[in-house]
Amino acid sequence: MRERVVVTGLGVVSPFNPDGDRERFWASLCAGETAVGAVRSFDASAYACRVAAEVDRRLLHDGAADPAFCMAERAFDRSLEHAGVAPRTAAPGRTGVVVGTVLGGTVSGERYLRARARGDPGAAETLAQYPLRAIAAGLAAKAGLTGPVLTVSTACASGTDAIGLAYRTIASGAADVMVAGGVDAVCELSFSGFCALRALTPDRVRPFSRNRTGLALGEAAAFLVLERDGSARERGAPPLAHVAGYAARADAFHLTAPHRDGRGLAAAVTAVLEDAAVAPDEIDYVSAHGTGTPYNDRMETLALKTALGARAARVPISSVKGALGHAFGGAGAVEAAVCLLAIRDGLVPPTVNLEEPDPECDLDFVPGRARRVAVRTALSVSAGFGGQNAALVIRGCR
Amino acid sequence: MSPPVGILGVGAVRAPEATQPDAEARADRVRGTLAALSRDGMPVRLIHGIEELAVLAAHAALRGAGIPVPYRGDGLGVVLGVEEGIDGIKARYYRGVLADGPLGASPLTFPLTTPNAIAARISILFDLRGETLTIGGGNVAGAQALGLAARAVRGGHSAMTLAGGVTCLEREFLEGASPASRSELGPPGGGACLFLLGPPGPAGFAATARLLGYGEGFGPDNVRDAIRTCLEDAGIPPTAIGAVRTAAVCDRRSVVQAVRGAGVGAGIARSPSSGLCAASFPLAVAEAAQPPTAGAHGPVLVVGTDCLAGAAVAVVQGGA
Repeated sequence: MRERVVVTGLGVVSPFNPDGDRERFWASLCAGETAVGAVRSFDASAYACRVAAEVDRRLLHDGAADPAFCMAERAFDRSLEHAGVAPRTAAPGRTGVVVGTVLGGTVSGERYLRARARGDPGAAETLAQYPLRAIAAGLAAKAGLTGPVLTVSTACASGTDAIGLAYRTIASGAADVMVAGGVDAVCELSFSGFCALRALTPDRVRPFSRNRTGLALGEAAAFLVLERDGSARERGAPPLAHVAGYAARADAFHLTAPHRDGRGLAAAVTAVLEDAAVAPDEIDYVSAHGTGTPYNDRMETLALKTALGARAARVPISSVKGALGHAFGGAGAVEAAVCLLAIRDGLVPPTVNLEEPDPECDLDFVPGRARRVAVRTALSVSAGFGGQNAALVIRGCR
Repeated sequence: MSPPVGILGVGAVRAPEATQPDAEARADRVRGTLAALSRDGMPVRLIHGIEELAVLAAHAALRGAGIPVPYRGDGLGVVLGVEEGIDGIKARYYRGVLADGPLGASPLTFPLTTPNAIAARISILFDLRGETLTIGGGNVAGAQALGLAARAVRGGHSAMTLAGGVTCLEREFLEGASPASRSELGPPGGGACLFLLGPPGPAGFAATARLLGYGEGFGPDNVRDAIRTCLEDAGIPPTAIGAVRTAAVCDRRSVVQAVRGAGVGAGIARSPSSGLCAASFPLAVAEAAQPPTAGAHGPVLVVGTDCLAGAAVAVVQGGA
């Protein structure tokens, strides 16, 4: 029997809590608040859609650093504090980091290209935090970690895959502790692209609602400290939960559209239940991908029905993207954090803005307000561009 | 010590070609491959050269292993190291936005600004529905992809995995690139190298070589740590290594010192593909996976480093 991989720390930075206050994040989600509002980080006045869920960047950095790096650093630090792991105390080679990100330091890249367009000779200085791998490398170097350092980029599933790969790294014996999560910041490059694809909402994100009009970009970072159970016990670190399974599958269908029947997501959920040795009836809560786009939400409903069978109609399922927008690489990690807190408190957040149920999305999507549910086992699912699908099973330790 | 992983097929492509006939031959190969992969009579169109490199390498690796395509199953996944290749696409896309605002945002190009687009393209074209991952690790991205794929195969998470790296060096970002983030860049061009990894000797698929071990290191002693981890993974002493091949590295002298410090006394040669970033390490592994020449003894140690992402080392036994 393989040793458990437990979670001993959690750090989150989102528009609700730029300072990394976990409880503020959770209270806002459970109160049904939304952070989606007018875009502030660049001039969006020329675009047909002009809303996003952004962190107040004045509370994040001095303007020079890349916002993705700042959010990641703060969430990473909070996760280590929560786990009681002091920087530079990790056993050599046995503690690492996995970062899931789609955009990395793209805000820095945009600054570079704008400066180049102006003929600024110092433009290259803005590129230090641009490379995709710079966030993981920077976090590992800062904390003195010398174990596996990895950057995974699987579109909107990046954060989920990062946690899954960290779980697998520990389970294989290649590390004792891994800090894993995801991050992305709102930038004009992605905003313009999703606007061109007509995937953005002009006003609100309404996951699983009949009148849903698309997604809103969001930005966030979340990191979990994953640890071999024996390592946590040796340190006296109380586990928040354990990661019981991870799986990823591809649609192999289309570069930007999900498979209409949710083929890949259903396969990922089926595989993660097998990996975790969990039956569908044991799932107490599903943290949905729920972007609020017509295709995704219908596909996701079908996929959950396929993989969970009759349980799909009875299990509470919610999406936090009406509250936080879609933070891409950060989304899956934030949603894993939601699962951890739901397990801790026996409370699941609502799907914000679900006001008109869609007959094609006919599952229990927890509209209106947070709900008391005893959550022993949670399923978190992600799907993304290119047909990426990933799923985690997270279980309480009691 | 972990069990070896079989290299069931190899696909290696370099560009730009040295001569015009070579370039035309590649274009013909691309057309032929895409024609073979079109479904329901729908033509397949690739947008960027990096897609062509990746698709050709994937096709060669699958064909070499005798895998029928389209595969149509989730028993085969893709783990691809790619980073530098998309920078030029991102830069051109965003320059269009800067120049023309929302009208400059090309919905055709935008999907290729996401790093996973190339792996997704492979997955879609060959109908591979297994685990599909994209790794951003600069020079060692392709190495990390191999390491993850080997772990997935060994752990039973994937029956077979197409793994390696692809890069297409362009100038848009490289002109101003920070020395801290780039190393040993070659001229503009590109390359791709993908392996089909699986358990050695599954029914119907014979391994042409074996990946005996893999290790990574990060921090001041990254190469030393990566070699130690790799040799432990392979279960062999440093004296068993028959040759050392360096892929893209940040500082070759320190790599040589670390190799010697680890007790590896075999001759050290630089891979001709050392300028090809994410594709460099897999291409060096492909060179090491050739059947051993007369007089050569022992497996080959392949070393790569990245100034940000650390070091990666693999031990490969050719001619399995």
